[in-house]
Amino acid sequence: MKFKSIYNSERILKIIFGLSLFVVLVMGGMSYQLIKKLSKSFEDVQHTYQIHIELEKLLSALKDAESGKRAFIISQDSTFLEPLLSSQSELESSLERLKLLTKNNPAQQKNIAELKIKIDKNLEIFEKTLGLALANKTDSPEFISSFKEGRQTMNSVRFKIMDMTTHESEELGIRKAKSSKTLSNAPMLIYYALIFSLLILLLTYLQISKNLRILKEKNELLETFKESTTQSEIISKHGNWIWYIEDNTFEYSDNLYRLLGEEPQSFPATLENFMGFVHPDDLDKLTEQVNKMMENEDLPFIHYRIIQKNGSIKHFKAYGKVLIDSDGHKKLLGTTADITDEIENYRLIEERNLELERNNKELASFNYVASHDLQEPLRKIQTFISRLEDKEKANLSDNGKLYITRIKSSSARMRSLIDDLLQFSRTNKSEEAFEDSNINILLETAKHDLAEIISDKRARISSDSIPSMKVIPFQIKQLFLNLISNSLKYSRENVAPVITISYSQTQASDLPKIKFSKHDLYHTISIKDNGIGFDQEYAEKIFILFNRLHNKNEYSGTGIGLSICKKIVENHNGYITAEGKLDQGSVFTIYLPITT
Amino acid sequence: MRENYTYVVLADDDEDDRLFFTEAFEELKMQTKVDLYKDGVDLMNALNQSDSKLPNILFLDLNMPMKSGIECLKEIKSNPRFKDIAIAIYSTSASEEDIEDTFVSGANVYIKKPNDFNILKKILSDVVTMNWQYQTSGLNRDNFLLRL
Amino acid sequence: MKIFIKFDFTRICTKVIDEKLVALNIKYRMLNFGEIEFLEDVPADKMEAFDTILEDYGIEKIENQKVILVQKIKDTIIDMVMNADDTMNVKSSVYLSEKLGHSYGYLANVFSEVTYTSIENFIILQRIEHAKSLMINTELSLTEIAFRLQYSSVAHLSTQFKNTTGITPTTFQRIIAKRRELNTNKS
Repeated sequence: MKFKSIYNSERILKIIFGLSLFVVLVMGGMSYQLIKKLSKSFEDVQHTYQIHIELEKLLSALKDAESGKRAFIISQDSTFLEPLLSSQSELESSLERLKLLTKNNPAQQKNIAELKIKIDKNLEIFEKTLGLALANKTDSPEFISSFKEGRQTMNSVRFKIMDMTTHESEELGIRKAKSSKTLSNAPMLIYYALIFSLLILLLTYLQISKNLRILKEKNELLETFKESTTQSEIISKHGNWIWYIEDNTFEYSDNLYRLLGEEPQSFPATLENFMGFVHPDDLDKLTEQVNKMMENEDLPFIHYRIIQKNGSIKHFKAYGKVLIDSDGHKKLLGTTADITDEIENYRLIEERNLELERNNKELASFNYVASHDLQEPLRKIQTFISRLEDKEKANLSDNGKLYITRIKSSSARMRSLIDDLLQFSRTNKSEEAFEDSNINILLETAKHDLAEIISDKRARISSDSIPSMKVIPFQIKQLFLNLISNSLKYSRENVAPVITISYSQTQASDLPKIKFSKHDLYHTISIKDNGIGFDQEYAEKIFILFNRLHNKNEYSGTGIGLSICKKIVENHNGYITAEGKLDQGSVFTIYLPITT
Repeated sequence: MRENYTYVVLADDDEDDRLFFTEAFEELKMQTKVDLYKDGVDLMNALNQSDSKLPNILFLDLNMPMKSGIECLKEIKSNPRFKDIAIAIYSTSASEEDIEDTFVSGANVYIKKPNDFNILKKILSDVVTMNWQYQTSGLNRDNFLLRL
Repeated sequence: MKIFIKFDFTRICTKVIDEKLVALNIKYRMLNFGEIEFLEDVPADKMEAFDTILEDYGIEKIENQKVILVQKIKDTIIDMVMNADDTMNVKSSVYLSEKLGHSYGYLANVFSEVTYTSIENFIILQRIEHAKSLMINTELSLTEIAFRLQYSSVAHLSTQFKNTTGITPTTFQRIIAKRRELNTNKS
């Protein structure tokens, strides 16, 4: 059971592993995406700053040129014109770089084109004012207007640049807003996934450790099994062996060696070595069986004898069964048992049985012959007495008549003893005699046999309806006959016998004095009377052969009737009990197993 | 015309029983003729004579030397010439199974030898009367089973 | 092979007698219950020949008047037992005296004088015999047989059966079954 759960959890583990692999992959993908986005937005910022720097450079170059020009105009020193020249080329390259930077932004391109025109115009005015300054016409209205115009264009350039800067900043802001939305969610998601995979890991760990624990338990159990197998091998005198069919090698358990009278593993476990111990008379037979085993890869029950080195002969019994392990290797697991004791006991029991049977037969035939052959002369004595009474009574004295009466009663008593003994010896169990019988009819027949006494004693007999049973019919009739006549015989003086026969069913567990029973349910027939009863302390004794509670002059019993009852009930695997109350009556209860 | 009496034969090795038997029939004053044989061999020899007169009822003791009542019964039942003889087993008590076996083997009557002469008379009279009923009232002889 | 057959004695006898009387050229009339009335005087030699022929069949001429009456009583009883349904609720003594035109006392006296047994016993015997043949020849259960023969219960039938034959109906059935088995095995 537990092993199965391990197999199950192995599957679960596989699923968990796959799941966590998937989660980790998803996490990796997400992180990659995230990092990519981060670097993109970083680039964007850098790009914007570059544009800013370029624009600043442009402006400062223009400012440099302007201030150089102004300084020259004021000082008329031509060295001030130097930056003007360099800034011009710088302007060009700055513009070029800007163009390159904003090539993906048509709005900035347009701005750059406009800026270029403005710068060009500014430079033109620059040239003009510079030329005028060189010609010293700084006071001319032309110069002044150009100067003013220069300042104006310069301002418009400045404005344009500012324009472009703000535009670029706005652009950056939009991008930032865009990416920050995804970026702000991402760490949370990754965090969750991490927690999730940690949980999975934890679960997996728990499962694995649980499995390990079970495996450990199993291992311990196996260890115990192994130990107890070894023990039981010794106790029950058997040994195990394994035949690895593919390699044709053998493995013998320690006790198998002991069974052979050898030290464990004291010789190599081979077939030849084992065969060396086998009794010569059984060798051929066993060899044949083993060959068959090799052929069929199976070993049915076999018996053989072995001789130990000390010369004692042992009886062995062996059995084998092929086992295919999980790797597909075939091996034959064999058990060999030392059944010497068993055989010895069996032989003893057999002998005892025969003896018992012989004794029983002798006893039964003695009983039968004694009672049967005794009948013959007794019958004649009785018949002759009846002849004497009929024909010669008139010729007899009163004494003679009295003697005849005494002889009659003595022979009658002898007759009932012999009859009962014969009945007892004939009350045997034979399986063929069992048949489904209507118990009510058997009871009626018994009552019918007693009809005369019943009416003489004015007895009232009532009975429940009793279901059919598989019984020996004439024995059950005899049982009723004996019990009812017992009740009639031991009735109280001047009290009409009332006999109640009732039927019920009893659970085996509720049976008095019976602890173990093969049957669960018992038919229960009780015969209750209002007779003289008996002291409960004799309840067991009354069933013993020849046991009587009363003087034979008081009541005419032989002491056999109830023994016959007991024998009959026992023949039917049942029980009979008696309960008595002095001067109140007795109850005889018969329990017969309900067989299905 | 048929004789107007019942011909009765008894085979019993016991002298006393033979005496009781004849005395009983004498006292019964029924229209009967009684013949006695002292064992089964004698009986079968007499019956097997081709001109023998066959009894209406044959009483057989079971325990007889040389040839038992059962052996006689089986011999008689295997010979169609004897099919009309009613067979009465006349024996000391036997077990229920043994009694049933004699019926199965073909006996019509089973009599347990009584221990009172008057009862014996009553039994023998009953058997003869019952047999007479079967003979005269067209009853099926195969169903003639009587235990006394 | 083995078969079981049932006889109708009356029919067999009637048929045999008819054939023989016709062959002997005797004019006659068949009355009920085995009574034959000769319509002319029969010469002694013819009568003797008739007697001899009948003897071969186990048929016996009854001359005594009382014997004839007993035979009539028997036949009436047999008829009564066989057809139990028709005579329901009628006491057998009433039935017999009505049918035969004699007082029951007279019938009973004559019967026991000739047969050494009573009419009651004879009726019981006949009923038991009928029960036996029903047990053997039909599949009827004991309960059904008891009902058919107007016994108050199976127990009543069993008791009377046991009283009459000394064995129980079940034992009887078992013995007959075993006999058949034995005979089947023999042949």
